[in-house]
Amino acid sequence: MFQMFPTRVWKEPDVSQLSRVRRSVLPQKDDTWADIARRELADLAEADAVSALQSWNLHVFMRATITTGRPGNPILPSDVIFVEPPLAAA
Amino acid sequence: MYDLVIRNGNVVDGSGLPAYRADVAVKDGRIVKIGRVSEGARRVVDAAGKVVAPGFIDPHTHFDAQLLWDGCAKPALSHGVTTIVPGNCSLSLAPLRAEHRMKLVGMFNQIEEMPLKAFRDGVVWDWETFAEYIARIRKGLAINVAPLVGHSVLRLWVMRDAAMERTATDAEVAQMQAVLRECLDAGAAGLSTSYVDMDERLQPVPSRYADASEVDALASVLGEYGRMLQIVPEFYDADLTIARLDQLAELSLKHNIPTTFSPLFVNADNIEAVNRVMRRVDEQFDRGARVWPQVQTRPIDISFCFAVPSLLFIRFRSWYRIMRFGAHEEILAAFRDPQNRQKLIAEAAPLAGLWPRLVLRHVNTDANRQYVGKTLGEIGELRGVSPVDAMIDLSLEEDLDAHFLAAGMGHNNDAEVGRLLSHPRVHVGASDGGAHILSFSTYGDTGYLLGHFVRDVKAMSLEAAVKKVTSDTAAIWGIPERGLLQTGYVADMVVFDPKTIDRCAEDYVGDVPGDGYRYVRDSSGVEAVFVGGALAWSAAEGYQPAQGQILPGVISAGLAA
Ligand SMILES: [Zn+2]
Repeated sequence: MFQMFPTRVWKEPDVSQLSRVRRSVLPQKDDTWADIARRELADLAEADAVSALQSWNLHVFMRATITTGRPGNPILPSDVIFVEPPLAAA
Repeated sequence: MYDLVIRNGNVVDGSGLPAYRADVAVKDGRIVKIGRVSEGARRVVDAAGKVVAPGFIDPHTHFDAQLLWDGCAKPALSHGVTTIVPGNCSLSLAPLRAEHRMKLVGMFNQIEEMPLKAFRDGVVWDWETFAEYIARIRKGLAINVAPLVGHSVLRLWVMRDAAMERTATDAEVAQMQAVLRECLDAGAAGLSTSYVDMDERLQPVPSRYADASEVDALASVLGEYGRMLQIVPEFYDADLTIARLDQLAELSLKHNIPTTFSPLFVNADNIEAVNRVMRRVDEQFDRGARVWPQVQTRPIDISFCFAVPSLLFIRFRSWYRIMRFGAHEEILAAFRDPQNRQKLIAEAAPLAGLWPRLVLRHVNTDANRQYVGKTLGEIGELRGVSPVDAMIDLSLEEDLDAHFLAAGMGHNNDAEVGRLLSHPRVHVGASDGGAHILSFSTYGDTGYLLGHFVRDVKAMSLEAAVKKVTSDTAAIWGIPERGLLQTGYVADMVVFDPKTIDRCAEDYVGDVPGDGYRYVRDSSGVEAVFVGGALAWSAAEGYQPAQGQILPGVISAGLAA
């Protein structure tokens, strides 16, 4: 049998050791794109921040058209909202 | 005098340690001796040349409805599966008020592709609470069941129709916690939730209207019992999957619970993405969290006909809408209209590479039988039309009852899938047993693991593979006294031939209530399956009366003391 994964040596858990992943937030009650933009991307003009958020979160932004086609706030309370673009490949 | 002795078998005990030759003796449902057994027994099985292993545990199924008319969860038992986990993906059949029965049937139909007719003709709705549902399925139960409570269903119970519209109030969250406690007391193995699924109106399922604090409150109840939280993440995207598994890790650490997310597929175009997910899983385990990714063994093969909405078309709005909401005649009309046909073909342009590879697998007319088994590329050539036109023409000629197979749609690279399945932090499962019954067979994944990945591809040893689907699963889910062949353990066991174990070819059979059909696979190489020491299925005798239990259950008195 060949060994596919190296044997791990047990180390004391270190909570600071998580590597950086793409930053995301969970929406607060009745959040709109503008609310999240003001909170998370405060140094951008609101319109720019909103369109950036929407482009990073097509899984949410595109949802309304995929399901009903109805306009409205498509953000669900359970959604993950990315507040930055995908990280460059390491 | 024992109840059962299995003689001369190769014992693969579920621990991952090397196999050894021994007899296994059983009395009163438990393994009482492993070694040389000279005493007699009421039933003796000669297992020379065969493997004796713990019964397999399938952690991701949707047998909720089937258990109401089939306590064997056929054909799961015949594959050596002695324990199933239904209630995944935020959907269970309890607790459920009478007013929401048809709502839930609609969700099962949309998400798990269970036919409406089966519920109408196969189900007598005589329960509401979880305890009543458990009492109901216990009658005639031959397989062990570790049932999850669906978060969407729990929300409907407490919030009624508001569950499909908004977050819960503090009072409603407290009520959900109380009802979840009742379910866990009645035997539930944990809670399931979903971040992707859509209901029968193509609207988000109720669980998606929950905010993080609601899930946290429910996880704290799971923590009181040490029970599982299962989720369906946005599995099509690695960043989203990582965000979800980070959420799970926090819940796991805070409440000291096991968590699992499913599915995780590896395809030609996402190998690095899956590596990234697994690196994150490793980091979270290194912190002490339990976040188990579930990986299925079988490749993705999808069958469809246009009479039933198929998830294959969900990205293509006009196709999916007509399949989902169109009457039979409307679908025919949409295909007959030349302009509309062109519009449909244009919309599904991303599938242009797929059409010629589709295989015609079932028709009703004699005229078209000659094409069965051929690809649409071949049929199109014979008929002088394009492959997609051949598909639409055949569907019209067959009154929509022409079935097509899209084989090898993904998760079919043996090296990559094998590597993932053998990863120590991958939970082998995600069969979806009992669901998607007209799209593919969700049975026989353990046969595929042991036949294909162990025997043919040699991606892992037999001992390692058996451990993955027995003692690992029992440990991950906190199921006591099962998953190992060990003295004192419950005698859930399977005897199989390692040279022939496999899943058989996919078969289209009419054994679903309401004159329904489904795709199934029989087992190959499985000789006998025991549940609690009683023969539940054998190749020679078929299904036999056994007594399935609700798990995890309580630890036996002797061990608890
Ligand atoms: Zn599922």
